[in-house]
Amino acid sequence: MIPAGFPRSIAIALLRFAIWIAPDDTHDWGRGMLSELNHIEGNWSALLWSFGGAGVLAKHAILAVILPGRHRGTFSTASELFAKEPPMRKPVLAVIAACTAASLLFFLAPVFRQAFQVSLAQWHDVFHVKLGFGYPNPDPDLDALVKRADQNHDAEGLAFVANRYHSQVRRAHLADEAVHLDPNLTWLYAVAGTGYLSPSEIDRRVSLLKQWDPQNALSYLMAAQKIGVSVEQSKEFPLGKTEENPAWEKEMDAAFQSPKLDTYLDRQRQLDHRVLSRYHLDDPFQAASGEDWYGFPIYGAWQCSFYAQSLLESGKSLESRGDRKAAFEKYFAVARFGQMMGDVAGFTVVMRKNMEQAYTRLGALSQTEDNNAAAAFYAALADQFDKAADKQRLLLRNRIQGSDVSHWNAFLVRLSGLGLLFCALLLVLCALGVVVRNRSLRLSSLHTSRLTLGIGFGAAFGALLSSAVLFVSFRPYSELFQRFLSKGDDAGLSELYSFLRDTQLPLGSQFNFGPGSWYVASWNIVFYFWSAVTILCALALSFAVFRHFQTRPQSSAAA
Amino acid sequence: MKTPRLSSQTLRVLERFIERPTAWRYGYELSRATGLKSGTLYPILMRLAKYSLLETKWVATEDGVPPRHTYRLTPNGVELVRATFAGERSTLKVRRPAFSGGKA
Repeated sequence: MIPAGFPRSIAIALLRFAIWIAPDDTHDWGRGMLSELNHIEGNWSALLWSFGGAGVLAKHAILAVILPGRHRGTFSTASELFAKEPPMRKPVLAVIAACTAASLLFFLAPVFRQAFQVSLAQWHDVFHVKLGFGYPNPDPDLDALVKRADQNHDAEGLAFVANRYHSQVRRAHLADEAVHLDPNLTWLYAVAGTGYLSPSEIDRRVSLLKQWDPQNALSYLMAAQKIGVSVEQSKEFPLGKTEENPAWEKEMDAAFQSPKLDTYLDRQRQLDHRVLSRYHLDDPFQAASGEDWYGFPIYGAWQCSFYAQSLLESGKSLESRGDRKAAFEKYFAVARFGQMMGDVAGFTVVMRKNMEQAYTRLGALSQTEDNNAAAAFYAALADQFDKAADKQRLLLRNRIQGSDVSHWNAFLVRLSGLGLLFCALLLVLCALGVVVRNRSLRLSSLHTSRLTLGIGFGAAFGALLSSAVLFVSFRPYSELFQRFLSKGDDAGLSELYSFLRDTQLPLGSQFNFGPGSWYVASWNIVFYFWSAVTILCALALSFAVFRHFQTRPQSSAAA
Repeated sequence: MKTPRLSSQTLRVLERFIERPTAWRYGYELSRATGLKSGTLYPILMRLAKYSLLETKWVATEDGVPPRHTYRLTPNGVELVRATFAGERSTLKVRRPAFSGGKA
């Protein structure tokens, strides 16, 4: 329940504030509006009256800022001049100074400096500077790291950069160099990718990987991927019929028979941790940039589903011919590999249908052979798999799209970063304006209007508030980064990655996952930004011209 | 003599003033008489005052109530308003026959 007199109190406060910020030559008018409040019946009517009056005074206050001479009368004496622009009020000035100092003190904290840098990431694309996550522009930090690693013959340093360069050719070259220095880094060939390399170069790398880790299915998947690409490009087989190629089938068979599937994600994160610590890199973008491949090389995902489907069809064919044992092996191979993918890479989603069919057929075969225990076992596995697949789908979606918390924090970081810049700019403009108008740097001789003082106060307070919000919003991610740096704890890297990815988009835009959407969105944003700047400038100019003609005094016919 | 732009709202305000040219008027009273909100009325009053067509004065009303800001047309203002309304009336007289079938 609102007290009856509350609207009238608001009305009085509003008009008083409007008088406070208004130019001196409008104060009488403002006080006139205020005095009329005593004669207005009805509290809400009084409030409406004050809205209109405050609007008029606020307009004059803004015009006084834009056109400083507009509200200046002719001053007969120096004392009259100072009466119009009183000396700066010490308490207000002290508050402005305190807020500004407190805001600047935040910069002493390394976490805040990092937060501020992250908040500036939204401008990188607009002004064509480097982005944190694999962008075609040269990255001077990575180039410097390569030089240092080369000088130190540090294979891990080179491997670190190889995983981050955008250029596939440079990635491959650095991976070769790192493996040459330390053959234990051969796994790098799987992580750094083999895209855009010639078939012979890919064969050489895959062959080395097979020799180094023969038990792992990943090298066979890479080989199958290469064959798949060359088959599609040569048109030797109809589109989508890669699985009819014997060489591809052989590699996939080897992959499905392999006892393990290791994506080397753990090795990569351990290496990242060591290199970040060794070179004292405190850029969170570098720590999280290895996360963009979601823990599994993309070349392994869909072809597994194709091959699993061909195995299932083959199993059904064998089953119809009465060869239950061979059919069982086919279904079992699909189920085993699917579980392995789910356990290691979290990519069960792409093989969900294959897995459902495999378990159904395994259960049906067991039932046929009166093995009820096995049938129940496969039914239970199918049920568990369904739940696990749902969970993994959610996890994968969160990994790709990011959580609501990271979206919100990224929004706050970008907003407070912008707020801080805006408030700092206002403060500097106010200070410059006061100094230029008074032509003095002595505090005692500085005079300013109340509006300037009000804007200065608002800007200082806004800067302090923005700094606090920026610090609080970024701090949890700084802790995730520090935990990874100090202890190698990679539990929060996915969250850090999705947060940092959001901070790179200018405020108001959204990240859409999809082929090429990142780049499309980025370039659109650049266009929209500069379009908005141009339109606002044109509008401001039109408004100024319009106001000039509207307020130009007209000559009276009577005169 | 320079004059402000005479919009229909300004004319409504001037019309109220010219009813009793020597009387001092209050802002709220003018607002009620013209039907203009404070956000429209006061810019008009301020503009009239800027062109020296309106004079302002603070008057004490009763004990315990703050003084009120009052407004009145200056001689220049009265002259302008009379000239303006006289012109309008003559225009109306000329135009009226066309709309009233020539009975004016």
